[in-house]
Amino acid sequence: MGFDRTMETRGDIVTLDTGSAADSPSAVNLHRRIEGRLAYATDQQELPGLLHGAILRSAHPHARIIRVDSARAWGMPGVQGVVTAADVPGLNRFGIVVRDQPVLCDDHVRYEGDAIAAVAADTREQARAALEAIEVSYEPLPVISDVTMAEQQAAIHDTNGSNLLARETLLRGDVDDAFARCAAIVEHQYQTPRQMHAFMETEGGVAIPDGQGGLVFRVGCQSGHRDAQQLADILGLAPDQVAVEAVATGGAFGGKDELTIQPVAGVLALQTGRPVMIHLDRFESCRAGMKRHPVSVKITTGCDAGGRLLGHRVEAVLDTGAYASLGPAVLANYLDHATAPLYRIEAYRVSGRLVYTNNGVCGAFRGFGGNQATFAVESQLDALAQKLGIAPTALRRINLRSPGEPGSRSQTVRWTAPPADVLAEAAASPLWSARHAGAGRWLTGTGMAMGAQGNGLGDDLPDSGGGQISLSPAGRIRVAFGFSDFGQNIAEAITCSVCDGLGCQEDDVEVVLGHSRGPDSGPTSASRSSVLMHGVLTSLLPRWKAMVCHQAARLTGYPEDGLEPGPGGLFLNNHQVLSYRELAESSDPDCMVAEASQDFPVAPGHEQPVGRYLQLQIATVARVAVDRLSGRVRVTDLHHVTAAGRVIYPPGYLGQIEGAAVMGLGMTLTEDLPTRDGRYVADNLDQYLIPVFHDAPRQRVDVLDNTPKDDPFPVRGVGELGIEAVAPAITAAIEAATGIRVRQLPVDPGDLLMALSAQEQDL
Amino acid sequence: MNVRDTAPEGSVLEEVSFELNGHTISRSVPAAASLLDILRASGQVTSARAGCRVGRCGACQVLLDGCAIPACLVMACQLPGRRVETVEGLDSDPDFLTVRDALAGANALQCGYCTPGFAISLVAGLRQRRQGHQVDLAETVAGNLCRCTGYGGLRRAVGQLSDPGHHANADGPGDSLLGEQK
Repeated sequence: MGFDRTMETRGDIVTLDTGSAADSPSAVNLHRRIEGRLAYATDQQELPGLLHGAILRSAHPHARIIRVDSARAWGMPGVQGVVTAADVPGLNRFGIVVRDQPVLCDDHVRYEGDAIAAVAADTREQARAALEAIEVSYEPLPVISDVTMAEQQAAIHDTNGSNLLARETLLRGDVDDAFARCAAIVEHQYQTPRQMHAFMETEGGVAIPDGQGGLVFRVGCQSGHRDAQQLADILGLAPDQVAVEAVATGGAFGGKDELTIQPVAGVLALQTGRPVMIHLDRFESCRAGMKRHPVSVKITTGCDAGGRLLGHRVEAVLDTGAYASLGPAVLANYLDHATAPLYRIEAYRVSGRLVYTNNGVCGAFRGFGGNQATFAVESQLDALAQKLGIAPTALRRINLRSPGEPGSRSQTVRWTAPPADVLAEAAASPLWSARHAGAGRWLTGTGMAMGAQGNGLGDDLPDSGGGQISLSPAGRIRVAFGFSDFGQNIAEAITCSVCDGLGCQEDDVEVVLGHSRGPDSGPTSASRSSVLMHGVLTSLLPRWKAMVCHQAARLTGYPEDGLEPGPGGLFLNNHQVLSYRELAESSDPDCMVAEASQDFPVAPGHEQPVGRYLQLQIATVARVAVDRLSGRVRVTDLHHVTAAGRVIYPPGYLGQIEGAAVMGLGMTLTEDLPTRDGRYVADNLDQYLIPVFHDAPRQRVDVLDNTPKDDPFPVRGVGELGIEAVAPAITAAIEAATGIRVRQLPVDPGDLLMALSAQEQDL
Repeated sequence: MNVRDTAPEGSVLEEVSFELNGHTISRSVPAAASLLDILRASGQVTSARAGCRVGRCGACQVLLDGCAIPACLVMACQLPGRRVETVEGLDSDPDFLTVRDALAGANALQCGYCTPGFAISLVAGLRQRRQGHQVDLAETVAGNLCRCTGYGGLRRAVGQLSDPGHHANADGPGDSLLGEQK
């Protein structure tokens, strides 16, 4: 192996590298992807009788639908099916938390991506051409685009009374009293953008009739089981008539957590009795797809003369767009992170409002509201440190929680390292030694920020999952989980864990992911897969080992308690006595199937939602160079100190942190999809700018693992951790370089340039 | 699916012949049909993928007479007599195998949807270098977008390809401040 799978990081800081991933269990998988031999959801062109679907989107961000006339579309060349709201057999609504989004709109449209009708035709072009023949009469309604005005305007959902979808306040202690005792108070307004997931494979896939009245879906997604349930309700089918099959997904990041094209493809497939492929092009993906919630927040934070945090007041507004999706859960996670989980604060009042508008739809996105909150909280700490005249690291050191202390919401928390140790490593980063601003065209500076990240859906949502292990007919140890595969390296982590647990080799293991008729592992989201995978395997592997040894003993006559699984087969006194293949060939396959499932670990002893139990930490140190001529910011280096438990598969851990960090860099510097009168101002990747190769900084990822030896949850999920602290680290570095603190993202080079020239005039 | 069918009704069709991965293919297509659509309809290529259709993302990158270009920007009328290569046709190409091993060794991909496009750009760079041109391999992937990796593994792979003696863990050629301090 090119990397040490049993790498012992306990108590030490280790800098991750990929070693040689070419020798890793993923090599075959990697080669298939590089050589273009892996079929993605939208590559299924060869299905017999395949039709292509196209969706008619709303002409207005907000309107009443007077009439939809689709009769003429039926006569268009190649058309095999045409559907409107009346053709949805079951519930014409979907949504993970609140089912408020129509599959096909009946009486109102509420954003410019709303679907009204759809066509299935022999070719994609014919389907698109037929959309032109569908006539829709609208009565346009006032567009609610300004989130600050939305609550005073007429409700866009008459079922909700007003445009306030959710409001929540978290309280601790007496905030007014705490502020009265503060020696320093800072109050600022922060704004974060409407970020687009920009997965390289846009939403798409195929719905296939199963010949018995049901449907099989092969669509890029994050939660096959939950999708199957929603789809059965929409399509008027029994739950066992809908299957979601595993298929390679070209990126998700939360943007495929909700249903995308599945409902419309399903309705068309039922009507035509043929497989229907829908693959949004980038223009349509921008217009109709999910986004990250833009957040506008006012925060007041105060401390005593010694720097101890006393009072903290947060008032946030999140624009959820036209439909709820996971918005209420994002609000909850935003507020949880706004309580500053890493720090002791005597009293806080943290409140937020989630508001409907006609600005697209927002939902799940890596970080899930948490990173938006951390940007504001960490910026506040820097402002306080400045006011007190102490170093930002010093202020943090004073206030960081100790292991064993309760969390910010008084819940029991399991850290994997003392927060102070993470800070100390970041404070010792080599990037600080180059923090002096230059005098030429480029101003350079270094800044840091910390972040906490919880694992799991959160304890107000049901969260559990399972897996299965069996011996395949060919004699491979088949391990099945319901997770979706986006190349996030969960398959490699499973393989490594099974090899560690059984003493077998990688070739012995076959990982099966993401079939709704296989084990239900819950959604592939919320940094939960690794935790669940480890928990389930911890219970499964010893049981399965016993089953296999029992069966092998029956076949060979050797004593059961002397047999051990190992590389390639079963061993007695270090000699192989039976291969896995021989075992499979002489056994009934059903006699060696084990299943387990478990609830996701949550903080014990609470009736009410209290925030995450399993907590991770990151400290990110950023070094930037600001161009005096253009105001543009280059991030040259990012150094992350992470504390996220045991590393199972180092290349995967590294890739998750690096990838999330650059996604956060994009949100900080270039990415935003604003709306004008409810319409997005950009519609493709030439206007919406995600980071390119040359924008990517040098990165270093360190791992600090001091998980207590008796911790039952030594493995944590790192899918979101890397995005948590990037934005405030970059803006801190910009301030170190220029003296200017940016509180509205993405950083506007024009504004920065103006502020720089104003500074020079002052000199 | 036939490319003819992907054309708007009434388009004038042209007979177009070009070389795809070493074999001549002929198709009757509208003059403005994109090479991307022709490839995906050919039944021989899935590695060229529609990420943006405006030449921005590089997910449909192919070699046209040895030069890397997004297939969505090439029209059928530009194809006669030209040579098109995709990763499906490069399985024994030494430059491609070098690139493949560098990408795999650096774990330079996650979902992999964009990866054949990156591989094509790097193969074009290696071929130019083999012909004696000065090539900055980092420049060859300037037109390829990846959303998963943050380009960390890609930086390591490009470093490895630029300087085969390069230690896979050093991050980028030369002046890494972090590297110096380690």
